[in-house]
Amino acid sequence: MKEPIIGRSINRVGGLPRVLGTQVYVADVKLPNMLHAKLVHLDCTHARIRGIDVSEALKVEGVRAVLTAEDLPKPVPRFGPAYQDRPLLAVGTTQFQGEPVAIVAAESEHAAAVGASRVKVDYEELPAICSVAQALDPAAELVQDPELRADGPFKNTNVMDEWIFGWGDVDSCRAEEVIEENYVFPIVTQFAIEPFTFLAEPTMDGITVYSAIQIPYGLQRTIAAVLNLPLSRVRIIAPDPGGAFGGKQHPKFEPLLAYIALHLGRPLRLELTLEESFQAVRRASAEVRVRSGFRSDGTLVFQDIESNYLIGAYADIAGRVVSKASYVAAGPYRVPNVRIVARAIFSHTTPSTAFRGFGAPQENWAVESQLDAIALKLGMDRIAIRLKNLPKKGEVFMPEDPPADGDWAEALRRAAEAVGWGTPLPKGRGRGIAMGLKAGPTTAASYSIVRLHLDGSVTVYSGTSDMGQGARTVFTQIISEELGIPADRIVVTMGDTGAVPFDLQTSASRSTVVMGSAIVKACDDIKRQLKDLAAECYGVRAEAIQVSPGAVHLPEGDRSFLELLKDRFGRVKGEVIGVGSARYEYLKGHPLGGQPAFYEVVAVGAEVEVDRETGETGVHKLVVVGDVGKAINPQHVSMQDEGAAIQALGHSLMEHYVMDSSGRVLNLGALDYRIPTTKDVPERFVSIHIENADGPGPYGAKGVAEGGILATAPAIGGAVEEAIGVRIRDLPLTPERIWSALNTRKERG
Amino acid sequence: MRNYKYLRPETLDEALSIMEQFGAQARPLLGGTDLMVRIQKGQAEPAAVVDLKRVRDIEARIDFEEGMTQIGARVVLSDLVRHDRIRTTYPALVEAASIVGSIQIRNRATLVGNICNASPAADTVPPLMIYGASVVVAGSSGGGHGEAGQRRVPLRDFFLGPGKTVCGPSELVVAVHIPVPQPPFGSAFGRLTRRRGVDLATINMACSIDADGLTTFVFGAAGPTPILVGDESGELADADLPQSRQDGLLQSLIEKTSPISDVRSGREYRQAMLLTIARRVLRQAQARRQVQAG
Amino acid sequence: MKNMTENTIKITVTVNGQPHRLEVDAHETLLEMIRNRLDLTGTKKCCGEGECGACTVILDGRAVNSCIILAAEADGGEVLTIEGLAEEGKPGALQQAFLDKGAVQCGFCTPGMIMAAHYLLENNPHPTEEEIREGLSGNLCRCTGYGKIVEAVQAAAAAAGEAEK
Repeated sequence: MKEPIIGRSINRVGGLPRVLGTQVYVADVKLPNMLHAKLVHLDCTHARIRGIDVSEALKVEGVRAVLTAEDLPKPVPRFGPAYQDRPLLAVGTTQFQGEPVAIVAAESEHAAAVGASRVKVDYEELPAICSVAQALDPAAELVQDPELRADGPFKNTNVMDEWIFGWGDVDSCRAEEVIEENYVFPIVTQFAIEPFTFLAEPTMDGITVYSAIQIPYGLQRTIAAVLNLPLSRVRIIAPDPGGAFGGKQHPKFEPLLAYIALHLGRPLRLELTLEESFQAVRRASAEVRVRSGFRSDGTLVFQDIESNYLIGAYADIAGRVVSKASYVAAGPYRVPNVRIVARAIFSHTTPSTAFRGFGAPQENWAVESQLDAIALKLGMDRIAIRLKNLPKKGEVFMPEDPPADGDWAEALRRAAEAVGWGTPLPKGRGRGIAMGLKAGPTTAASYSIVRLHLDGSVTVYSGTSDMGQGARTVFTQIISEELGIPADRIVVTMGDTGAVPFDLQTSASRSTVVMGSAIVKACDDIKRQLKDLAAECYGVRAEAIQVSPGAVHLPEGDRSFLELLKDRFGRVKGEVIGVGSARYEYLKGHPLGGQPAFYEVVAVGAEVEVDRETGETGVHKLVVVGDVGKAINPQHVSMQDEGAAIQALGHSLMEHYVMDSSGRVLNLGALDYRIPTTKDVPERFVSIHIENADGPGPYGAKGVAEGGILATAPAIGGAVEEAIGVRIRDLPLTPERIWSALNTRKERG
Repeated sequence: MRNYKYLRPETLDEALSIMEQFGAQARPLLGGTDLMVRIQKGQAEPAAVVDLKRVRDIEARIDFEEGMTQIGARVVLSDLVRHDRIRTTYPALVEAASIVGSIQIRNRATLVGNICNASPAADTVPPLMIYGASVVVAGSSGGGHGEAGQRRVPLRDFFLGPGKTVCGPSELVVAVHIPVPQPPFGSAFGRLTRRRGVDLATINMACSIDADGLTTFVFGAAGPTPILVGDESGELADADLPQSRQDGLLQSLIEKTSPISDVRSGREYRQAMLLTIARRVLRQAQARRQVQAG
Repeated sequence: MKNMTENTIKITVTVNGQPHRLEVDAHETLLEMIRNRLDLTGTKKCCGEGECGACTVILDGRAVNSCIILAAEADGGEVLTIEGLAEEGKPGALQQAFLDKGAVQCGFCTPGMIMAAHYLLENNPHPTEEEIREGLSGNLCRCTGYGKIVEAVQAAAAAAGEAEK
């Protein structure tokens, strides 16, 4: 009996080209006759454009074109995943620092850069709205023109939208104790090591756009709309991203490039600098007020949560971030009365977009920190208070949604044990623990084609984007298991709308569950066809034939797939094409448009040491326990846990945009925007997988890629509090912030 | 942003005449870890970049001569910190040079470059100053360069402000000279950063205690230039000095600094950390001096 | 100064053992020369200011950030890039260790990381964990959290140690 490949840590599929340096990223694509673009943007946040003089730029040798909004069709085309508010180039005003007012196309990158530096922009700096308070001031300017917005009560405000969720009756219920606190999560940026690069190429059929985009089909629709082309004439080639984390989900400058490329009749390439990449994407910051009612035994009675997310100047996908995250803001707990009010608030800043966790890290930071506060008030252990309120598996904890789909108490207990909870703690150290919850995908549409070739090898077409999370490997393992094909004879083709069937998107930790299911179905389709082929070929009734991975079983004996294909197709040859799909339909009336397919739940434990004199924090141990259903590739799951947790370490201890009073970001780029290096990581990191095969995906899998980023901050916050005796509610917990908190307390005496 | 010439002189005279010709429009290039970054960001727009790495008279050598260590302008930091005699003679300098950037940076960045960039936060400068280092400045005939066409400027007189030194537009620093300290001598370097990994200093400092007990501090990233202060009482050399007295003396030295708030840190925190780190650095200097005292 | 016109310089440089005669622009970086003139796109551009290490190559035996070195400065020099580590298209021991230990996710930082690790092991064949972290501290990774990268370097060092015996 062959050893199953599911559950084995085979090496990354696609790893070899990456270590050899032969992996082709979008920046490595070169086309003949290619022009190079450079954006022109202002060194201020919000400005009225009075005039743009491109005459000097046009004189630069090698410059072929300089375009402003004046050169685009009127009205200037707009795009956006939620609604079309974002213009190809700034129109009349710049709405955020980095919004381009012009674009230069030249024969070389250098010429384009020189040209861009010669574009003269006459502008008047305007006061910018860069905080929740500024945006909500009744006298505040409107960030977005109401003409662009849907009708509704917020149309003439800076509130993009407001969501109200909940159940029970927060106002009438009786709680013995109540506490209320405010928590702040900063603006941080994805900082994928691959900066944004795009390439648009006019072709015989229409246009091809190269972009490391997580949602090629979304980009395809956007380009088709902007250029007024049918989808069949727009091809998106999406090389594997060099890191994305959600920041590469939605279109940025591809529509502009596509327009110009068609216009000039030549391919046009744009590579953003790292600073420009920071100006292109970020996470929404959030101010979360949590008022909690509870009994003296630690039972939660109500959670009253108000979250204000500061989004950017254009909607992008920010509304979905706020609604999806706030919907489950009360966390993985049994809470009889919940009120959640959440708002997405415009500002003159970089459009906030999807970023691993999709709003949940912000909510979890607040709600988990609050649980610690409740425990402190009651003199209760922080594990005990969580255990008291965690639902059992199968228990309904949100009235309109699926019940708890995992043994979450087990995850918490394993995290506690792994971090040494309750064991003696050396002086100067502290431990923290937190849970995290994120709702899985609510709608989905993944299609897959699997081709079984004559020699028994397989090509699979899947529109998932493998940005490092290892989708290729998982899909390879699934097909290997289902069809009995050795992994090295399977090729996964992704990232080409011209060849690969539709996939809604790569997001929400869905690929193993949704696309994985589609691939299983495509394999089932192949096996069904093989059964019919065998019946036809060997003259046996189909009902008498069994198909198992790698072979068909006839009454008179077995035939391998290879033998069957040869016998059936003979001299004329052929192949077997299997199609599979997985869809979650839109559920009208559900606040999220559908119930989550699964809950991504994690328990994180941390042990830290704080230097009280300087505020510096060292993390001795960080433990991530994920309720994963089934780890199809355990090493890949651990890789996701560790990567996500260290990314969270960044926003916990060191990452934030530093802005001046005009909203200008002072720390763009790798020098002053600090992310963890090899020297900043925990001394020990542990990833534990709880596998109860209770997920909706193949073999009982759930999604795992975001777990580690959901609850690391509150675990570290709790650990710091134990170490220094002060709770800090604003991230990041920089040395300066910790020192200030300690010294403020000292002053209070 | 503009196109610049790349020039690669082979003698010092050639180099100096290029500098003379272009004046402030020429920038000397050694490691490039500061200059290239500034050019890339548009903060510097020279007409000519003058690569000094082939200049015969600019050395990549470390020589010891009669109580004076001579470090040529082409010596890169990674070689400096590996040098046995430098390690034993100037531990604070090695501590500082070891954390300038990453290994990739230290394989290119030169000691002279770190000095001439004149960042108030330069890590190698405070230790060089406590050791009493000087730079050797070469210029064309005239301009006080004497017969050898060179003049010596002690580092304490070298810096004028952020990015500004007394080096004129047609002059080049060709070497660093550091006296060998007379034992018993203790020295130490310390700094504070936002993360443990590679970072610019929020504050940095070096401390020395010489044979007479003269305690010198140089504070970096706490003013427009590194700030040299000293206590002649000899009290700070005493490891048994009561903490409050030590703090008082340290505080009076720190008062000469003028830390600001910037993207890396607020002023109040910088101020407090100057004392916190000074205590630690003093302790280490005391311990090292004690070892030499036997 | 020979070989120089207004803004171009003729250089000779050996890359991955192969000599080249090139005429480079004054402002052209070593990274641009490698990627654009020689079509060796394994070395990556990220920060452009020597902070992230994605562009790490070995120049005259030292690991350096090629994005802040002018191509002209490499005249007469020897460059080793990620493409030069493979032995006939097959991964070397260090590269294989990265694969086996799960040290590769998106892979964008990987070439620079491997070059820095290669340089570390060439100069320090038996590094401690701290020395590995120090040696790789100039290479940023946003995907892995570094743990498995450190394990990969340890494994490669151990394997080399075994091979020596």
